[in-house]
Amino acid sequence: MKKGIAFYLNLLAALLGAAGLGLAVYSSVLSVDNALTGLPLVIAAGVIGVVLVVLAAVAPARMGNHNPVTAISVIAAIALYSYVYGQCTLQRIMLIAGLFSFNSGNTVGWTIFYVTVACAVCMVLACILLIVSSFCKTVKPVQQ
Amino acid sequence: MKQSTKKALWRGLSGAMCFTMCLSIILGNALEANAATIDTYLGTSSEVLTSKNDAENPLYDKFTPPAELLNEDGTGNSHALIQAAIDLNRREAAEGAVLLKNNTENGQGLPLASGSNVTLLGIRSHVPLIGSSFGVKAQGPFISLEQALSQNKTDFANTITTTQNTNATTREEATSVSKTMESWSGDEFEFEGAGLNINPTMVEVYKELNKTYNHANNENPEEIYNPGEPSVNEIAGVNSDYQSSFAEYGDAAIVVLGRPSAESKDFLPGGIKEGLGAEEPLALTDNERAAIEMAKQASDNVIVLINSASAMEIGDLKNDPDVDAILWIGFPGCYGMLGVADIISGRVSPSGGLADIFPTYNMSAPAMQNMGKMYYSNTDEVINRTGGVLGFTPGSYTIEAEGLYVGYRYYETRYYDSVAGNGNAASPVGAYTSDTEWNYANEVAYGFGYGLSYTDFQYEFDGQPVFDISVDEETGAPSAYATFNVKVTNVGDVPGKTSVQIYGQAPYIAGGVEKSAIQLLNFEKSSVLEPGASEVVPVRVDLQYIASYDESYDNGDGTMGTYIMDPGAYYFAVGNGAHDALNHIMAAQGMDAARMVGEGNPAQAYMQQIDENFISKTMFSVSKTGHKISNQLPYADWNYYQPGEVTYLSRSDWAGTYPKSYTEMTLTNEELINNLNGKTYTLQTGDDTSDILWGQDNGIQFYEMFGVPYDDPKWDSLLDQLTLEEAMYIFSFGGPSIPGADSIGTVETYMTENAGNGVAVSLNASKDPNAPWAIPSSDVNGNWHPQVFGNAPLIAASFNPELMYELGEFTGIESLFTGINILWGPGLNTHRHAYNGRNGEYYSEDPVLSGVAAMEFAIGALDYGLVAAPKHFAFNDQESERGGVSPYMTEQRAREVELRAYQIAFEATKYDTEENDAGMRGLMTSFSKIGSIECTTSEGLMTEILANEWGFIGYAVTDIYDDTDLWSAVLNAGTTCFDTRGQSGFYGTTTLENCSLFQNQVDGSKLSAHMIDGDANLQMKLKEAVHKNIYAWTESHLMNRYNATTHIESQMTWWRAIYYGMTGVSGAVLVLSVVMYGVTSIRKKEEE
Repeated sequence: MKKGIAFYLNLLAALLGAAGLGLAVYSSVLSVDNALTGLPLVIAAGVIGVVLVVLAAVAPARMGNHNPVTAISVIAAIALYSYVYGQCTLQRIMLIAGLFSFNSGNTVGWTIFYVTVACAVCMVLACILLIVSSFCKTVKPVQQ
Repeated sequence: MKQSTKKALWRGLSGAMCFTMCLSIILGNALEANAATIDTYLGTSSEVLTSKNDAENPLYDKFTPPAELLNEDGTGNSHALIQAAIDLNRREAAEGAVLLKNNTENGQGLPLASGSNVTLLGIRSHVPLIGSSFGVKAQGPFISLEQALSQNKTDFANTITTTQNTNATTREEATSVSKTMESWSGDEFEFEGAGLNINPTMVEVYKELNKTYNHANNENPEEIYNPGEPSVNEIAGVNSDYQSSFAEYGDAAIVVLGRPSAESKDFLPGGIKEGLGAEEPLALTDNERAAIEMAKQASDNVIVLINSASAMEIGDLKNDPDVDAILWIGFPGCYGMLGVADIISGRVSPSGGLADIFPTYNMSAPAMQNMGKMYYSNTDEVINRTGGVLGFTPGSYTIEAEGLYVGYRYYETRYYDSVAGNGNAASPVGAYTSDTEWNYANEVAYGFGYGLSYTDFQYEFDGQPVFDISVDEETGAPSAYATFNVKVTNVGDVPGKTSVQIYGQAPYIAGGVEKSAIQLLNFEKSSVLEPGASEVVPVRVDLQYIASYDESYDNGDGTMGTYIMDPGAYYFAVGNGAHDALNHIMAAQGMDAARMVGEGNPAQAYMQQIDENFISKTMFSVSKTGHKISNQLPYADWNYYQPGEVTYLSRSDWAGTYPKSYTEMTLTNEELINNLNGKTYTLQTGDDTSDILWGQDNGIQFYEMFGVPYDDPKWDSLLDQLTLEEAMYIFSFGGPSIPGADSIGTVETYMTENAGNGVAVSLNASKDPNAPWAIPSSDVNGNWHPQVFGNAPLIAASFNPELMYELGEFTGIESLFTGINILWGPGLNTHRHAYNGRNGEYYSEDPVLSGVAAMEFAIGALDYGLVAAPKHFAFNDQESERGGVSPYMTEQRAREVELRAYQIAFEATKYDTEENDAGMRGLMTSFSKIGSIECTTSEGLMTEILANEWGFIGYAVTDIYDDTDLWSAVLNAGTTCFDTRGQSGFYGTTTLENCSLFQNQVDGSKLSAHMIDGDANLQMKLKEAVHKNIYAWTESHLMNRYNATTHIESQMTWWRAIYYGMTGVSGAVLVLSVVMYGVTSIRKKEEE
């Protein structure tokens, strides 16, 4: 069977998820004072999310398009990705508020801000790709 | 539709809905975690503290707004409130503005006759500075200079203050402006303007120019500053015929020149954009000088308004015979231009005095040799403490080598010594106007406290001063006052009032303790005196402020350092500023009049011989609380660690000790390095804490504590009810949202806000919406924002304690309307020099003027149940690297300059009675250190000086997120809580364990409810901290809302409804999609 567009979208989503997770971790290690609390959980969520996306991409080869494993994996991955960028941004709200007001000279803070934005963009983009892929076929039957 | 297509559709929809639901949950979390802050900005009330209000449990009976601000039914009258603010701000500006020069010989100068045709010049005439871009921002609709001079009714709908936005990418230059309020559709107000006619051509020119210049009413300094004054060519580019308008509007030309002030940035030496024709940021640029020249073309009556919180370099204008009048107006606030107009029109005679000296060149101040960004040469090698949550840069410092000689104390003392021929004072070292000598006349443009009037006053002592000196036999606490009765006579032609400033001079012995040749001791203000009328104004001076702190004094009990009164001749004088008073003293001392700058009148000076029989040398070695005073801040002095490396300025040798710049100091001392790394407290784990009671059931509730004295045993019972965990929450989260404690019947409440120029909460965002006088969101004036008053130097310059008190009272009233019971303000740091970007938020370079202003404000505010918490205690002497900068100084300097302002405010001796030991109930600590120790962790500062010597009892919060990595040390020092803005939802969303602010402790500990289980000292300190916090709450109008039925009710705000709806709908559709996906799958299988 040939790969459908959803396969490639899922792979891209996995890559973006991995990148987003990497950025989340990076934002956490930039400054010990602004490290993410519950980082292991964030990492676990991100890793499982990426694995599920890969699973969603490869499962149709055996189980056909729109199989339950792919469907559940995509939904779960979206939730896990959301957890990652959610934690990353929620824990930085006050830092960001400070950057745009009384603490504009916080250079480490700005770096964390930019990395956090990049993380969120990757994760949100990944989620959108997963949604789009859900409407599409992952495998195409080979024409006889 | 095929089943496979349907399956794809449902699967895709379920993914989309999952994403939407997650997004809604994230949004909801963000909103709920910051609900209190969001409420403030959106004017919503997501949670309301609710109590039954009946005869058995009465509410709102402890603090109420004045009747004139209420409607007959007791509801709030927003129109009356705004009108009262307009009136007060008008008086603030009219009394605070300082007339520096007024050449009226040929009918020029000020005031201007009604109907005069006037041209306004300088872009600041069109966009005056009203407040600061961050910090004490002037909010909402305002009255412009043009309107105040020429109109009689506000145009609030079209005149809303603007603020400069910092460039988010470069974070250096502000490139855009925005309104502080989207729109105003509330009431307009009538006023009596100056009745002038304003040249419309120039108004239009500047309006057009500002489309590209982007000036705002609230701006900030920059390290490379550009005042942004348009050139003549640019003006001509807008209207080539602009000069033709001058003929019609040539009765006077008013030029407005300004410099901004705001939180977080300083001006820096040499920090001005190249090509402007100025070498320093506070000097006039070519274009500003061109504006003056243009004014001379426009009129033969040139008036300059100085719109700045810092001393601008205007020596040339002083000496320019074609500049007829100079009026300093500070940042007048939203309606303060009416007060400026009152002076310009002559309706009010000026009566203000400068709150800071205006040197000819600011760089001549010895403090300027050591300011800005300086870093240890070996920070990377020895400092391992990080910059904290806010990312501050470790390893910055400043050596305050000027010692005692801050502001006018330097210029006036050096002047005195140069006339007396002492200490190489006339040497050119430190001179900026001459290579051959230091000369006061050249170095200083206008002195501290100086100000002119439209009339003249004569001052004379009405009899001998009355000394009232005693010592408490039990405690040894001194009480030593001198009351000077000053007869003030208006010998001019128009009515006016004047300040009565009493200065003092202690005898200086060369090589002995440093002493300023002149210092302000206290002041009052006369009433309005008609021509020929007199009034005797009594001014009560606390003699402890003329005592000197001698760090090397051996107390004989193993301690060193205390206040001493050297025996000798002490001089007191009344004068129009410090220089005038000093001249009177010098005249009384028979000094050579020919060498003096200005004239002295010995009759305006008084000499008192002080010896052991009058006031003993060590009378002030005991504080008013009866606490023995000794050195508490040895670590403030660099030489304490690394002796001999710093030389402090001394009168004994002005030339030899004039400060050098101490750049790249190297850390070698181990104690110094340990202190800088925050290692000042070791958490104990094995103490026996069984005697310290927590979680007792004593049956007392918080609401019963109103009016209970701090030392009443009932407090012990209440505090014992708290669990250790509850106490830790109250210490850890100090606002704006403060945790509740079930055991004593308190609930989480939004209690605190900024700032010094009004409460930073709109009327319709009140945190106490159940108050009978609360202004509903439907009120036409509901979005009025109470931050409208002038900046701190303006009220200081009024030298009017009653007006300062009134401003505090009004802010207290504002707080009742906005439901804020603790105010993070006013600013009370010292103007160490003119380049401090935040001078606009602090009163003055003088501690007595600052301390009195803050005391009056705070006591006035407390009348209406508002706890004012002045900031930043202490030594926040610059904004550059303010986060953790180490200012090194002598303890004498610390106590006699910066700390004295706080001492006056916190002791509030003026308001002590037999029954009541008055005092302030709040403060905010400083980001900065004192020497090598964080102010928040300095036991010497927070416990020994603040609590023990001064008797401070109250809420002592850190600055925002400051020193959260030193939790144990902060508690140990006596600080009572952390400023944790944004944190709320305590015990649920926010816990001791999960709050990211506290996750990185320097000592490796992990904050939890059990962290101090084994530390008896910290548990006792915790009990004390919580006691002080709760006591402060009980002194506030928070008690209006509390009774036995008090609880929190969650409200369905519009933003809450949106995210609830989004979550609910997306969740439901998600479930539906998943179900339909399953159904479709089954059908598809069946089909197959």
